[in-house]
Amino acid sequence: MNSETGIKPADSSVEALLEVRNLHMQFPIRRGAFRRTVGFVKAVNDVSFHIRPGETLSLVGESGCGKTTTGRCIVRVYEPTSGQILYQADERERIDLAGLDNRDLRPFRREIRMIFQDPFSSLNPRLSILQIVGESLKVNQVASGSELEDQVAALLRRVGLRPEYIRRYPHAFSGGERQRIGIARALALNPRLIVADEAVSALDVSVQAQILNLLQDLQEELDLTYLFIAHDLSVVEHISHRVAVMYVGKIVELAATEDLFRNPLHPYTEALLSAVPKPDPRLRNKGVRIRLAGEVADPSNPPGGCYFHPRCPYAEERCRQEAPAVREVGRDRWVACHFAEELDLQGFEAIG
Amino acid sequence: MQPTHTRLDATGAEEADRLLEVRELKTHFFADEGVVRAVDGVNLSLKRGQTLCVVGESGCGKSVTARSILRIVPSPGEIVAGEILFRQRDGNTVDLAEMNPKGREIRRIRGGEISMIFQEPMSSLSPVHTIGSQIMEAILLHLPVTRQEARKRAAYMLDLVGIPRANEQLDAYSFELSGGMRQRAMIAIALACEPQLLIADEPTTALDVTTQANILDLIRDLQQDSGMSVLFITHDLGVVAEIADEVVVMYLGRDVESGDVDSIFHEAKHPYTRALLQSIPRYDSRDNQRLYSIKGTVPHPFDRPNGCPFHPRCDDFIAEQCNRIDPPRQRLGGEHSVRCLLYATADEAPINKEMRT
Repeated sequence: MNSETGIKPADSSVEALLEVRNLHMQFPIRRGAFRRTVGFVKAVNDVSFHIRPGETLSLVGESGCGKTTTGRCIVRVYEPTSGQILYQADERERIDLAGLDNRDLRPFRREIRMIFQDPFSSLNPRLSILQIVGESLKVNQVASGSELEDQVAALLRRVGLRPEYIRRYPHAFSGGERQRIGIARALALNPRLIVADEAVSALDVSVQAQILNLLQDLQEELDLTYLFIAHDLSVVEHISHRVAVMYVGKIVELAATEDLFRNPLHPYTEALLSAVPKPDPRLRNKGVRIRLAGEVADPSNPPGGCYFHPRCPYAEERCRQEAPAVREVGRDRWVACHFAEELDLQGFEAIG
Repeated sequence: MQPTHTRLDATGAEEADRLLEVRELKTHFFADEGVVRAVDGVNLSLKRGQTLCVVGESGCGKSVTARSILRIVPSPGEIVAGEILFRQRDGNTVDLAEMNPKGREIRRIRGGEISMIFQEPMSSLSPVHTIGSQIMEAILLHLPVTRQEARKRAAYMLDLVGIPRANEQLDAYSFELSGGMRQRAMIAIALACEPQLLIADEPTTALDVTTQANILDLIRDLQQDSGMSVLFITHDLGVVAEIADEVVVMYLGRDVESGDVDSIFHEAKHPYTRALLQSIPRYDSRDNQRLYSIKGTVPHPFDRPNGCPFHPRCDDFIAEQCNRIDPPRQRLGGEHSVRCLLYATADEAPINKEMRT
């Protein structure tokens, strides 16, 4: 893989808070009695992007595209196979999280936190809210005793929960309230970067709106940076500054939200946008409908050339032969398609 | 004020066109802790060849409504009141609510006249039977055919729902298929006996947008070819806008508003419907604009508010009215009806501002 094609900050005056360079994550496929490795699932395959302080970058794509794995590599649940995860620890120091062991990672685990998708399985039912939210404060010896309680109460207030609930257990809360507890837990150690993995996907629309508003308020108040992993494009459009579209472990397009939705440059982005149901019956059957045939490629055995070519309505011979590199096609616009300039693709606007 | 069980009058011709009519259905669950009124007075009406979407948040009783129609409400749930009138293929109208849930009549209707597809195709397909044998089971149960003919029909069905290499896939197991293909297989089973009514309970919720678009297209195409009616249950208003002819909005076991899809999206009357529509992120909304969010949460099923069930969360709450009076179902013209005291006056003018708090 060519390593010169990484996405670097377009505006070099703004230092990235996090820069991911040529990240690879492979999972071995083991078979037989001796668990011999017979192949690799390339879940994340040469992914590069950066996140600026205070912005929300979304990773979108279909299930199995590697967006969650990318998030988990950044919080170092997984140890990446190769690549760099450069984190701007302070004004001077940039640290590669990919190479650190558990012990050296500890200070950064406070600063990079995660919010999970399912508020029903991500909270331990046997722990009270005080224990769940206060755990990281206790472990890191930030607070204990009544001070701990005060801090947890303040965190609960911050996410819109009544501090009186501190001794209750997760079962007493609704889905939206549990998600607030998960957010309070993530906020406990004053993080700088939050990886939100499908944080609103399991919630009802009215609750989803509450949580999205909360996330935006917290971003403003606490100057948080989000890596927002989601598959719902209307939510992504609402919350993100920039969006990266992933397909079979690779980023196929990365652009500012408005550019990406109005004027997509990759055929896969166009197809994704076209598949989103528009919440207005008068728009039914308006605009171009692009329906992808076939299935997402198998990440352990991807097709040659561009991974998207078997499903791409615009594929040509070159796409079958040659894998397109991620290249910069405008300010802060990156795309991996041979024909990005020639194609005239439909955005959301054309339909809506 | 009209009584709650107002019958919506219909002309004779309309009546013949109507496939399903649910009137004041109540399905309650008798748990040890008390009674959960999961469905508490739902009305819906579905014409031949049309798609009716039942939309609402989790816990509003939309799935229980669907299961009540097929009489597969799990214990300790029971239909305690109401009618489910269904016009059979032979032209007779039967009340499904009166049938014995284990009797021969309802079993003939299930799968034969009314079929259902579920949200999670993985858990509703058998992992130990091939896809083919699961389709054939439905065919052999309802149609007078031999095994060979059934197998042929099963292959035809798989082909119809767009599964490639249908003949080979008959011998595949559900775990060998992708999510979208599994949902297609489920649809093939459901449609094998050409039902008049397909009940789809969140069939695309677990799928990716691209797959969802394909499945919605498929249901729409099959509906156009066969003229079947679809009762589609979803929480996704985008999906509703794409496929519905008629919409019923549910909240805490009630149909709070119903009407044709255009009136629901563009002339929504009930504060809950309006709030739901405002809380979806839309493309035209500007950056950093906050989403509208309904205050509070859906109440626990054991402490259901008095009066209008939505009043504690409603912005247009009228003190001493909404918390006491159970709003009747009010017809606004056409098929559009709403249960809200704001529209309780005959001329449908909203109540004066002075009366609001």
